[in-house]
Amino acid sequence: MFRIVEGPIDVGAVIRAAQRPDCGAISVFVGTTRVDRSGEASVRYLEYEAYRPMADRKLEEIGEEIKRRWDVRHVSIVHRVGRVDPGEPSVVIAVAAPRRGQAFEASRHAIERIKQIVPIWKREVWSDGYVWVGSQVGTRTG
Amino acid sequence: MQKVRVLFFGAAADRAGTREVELPAGEGVTLGELWAVLSRRHPDLSPIRESLAFAINGEYASEEEPVRPGDEVAVLPPVSGG
Repeated sequence: MFRIVEGPIDVGAVIRAAQRPDCGAISVFVGTTRVDRSGEASVRYLEYEAYRPMADRKLEEIGEEIKRRWDVRHVSIVHRVGRVDPGEPSVVIAVAAPRRGQAFEASRHAIERIKQIVPIWKREVWSDGYVWVGSQVGTRTG
Repeated sequence: MQKVRVLFFGAAADRAGTREVELPAGEGVTLGELWAVLSRRHPDLSPIRESLAFAINGEYASEEEPVRPGDEVAVLPPVSGG
């Protein structure tokens, strides 16, 4: 399951979809939005945008990479776009494998690759402006 | 004449002041030549050139690659999902 969604991610549903009788491990990574502070200012929320359908295809490519490298039986990646409030999941990855080592490694690979190749951008919306993460471009002066 | 659709995302959309433009395209134009046109029309993009990547029809592409009429070109700042 590789999906980009606009509303809250049902983490439990992503985990349940990964359960298999031939697997002894489900590794789940949940990326959540973090509030940074700088002086008097702080992040109010984050906003994500994606270039679809390229982003959908790149998520699927990551799934294929994982299945080539590790013995895993299920990979799900669900990424949210739009406004995400502090502490909420922005991405959920679930990998089921017969053994835990493979599940852990594949899950780690998935999040690192998302940050390299999937055309999704996030913008921190601060109380005094915004910053595109990675580009450091925005209206914030602080 | 057929055109090339250019999409801007994230910081590049801010710098370009738009999310989408259409350019006339002749056969044999490269992505690098298209960029030269874009950066003249949207000079605020130039300072972030080193950080940008490009896609043609949804796949990462280098400056030597040809852009054909009807193609969709995307201007991609550093990705930051997760």
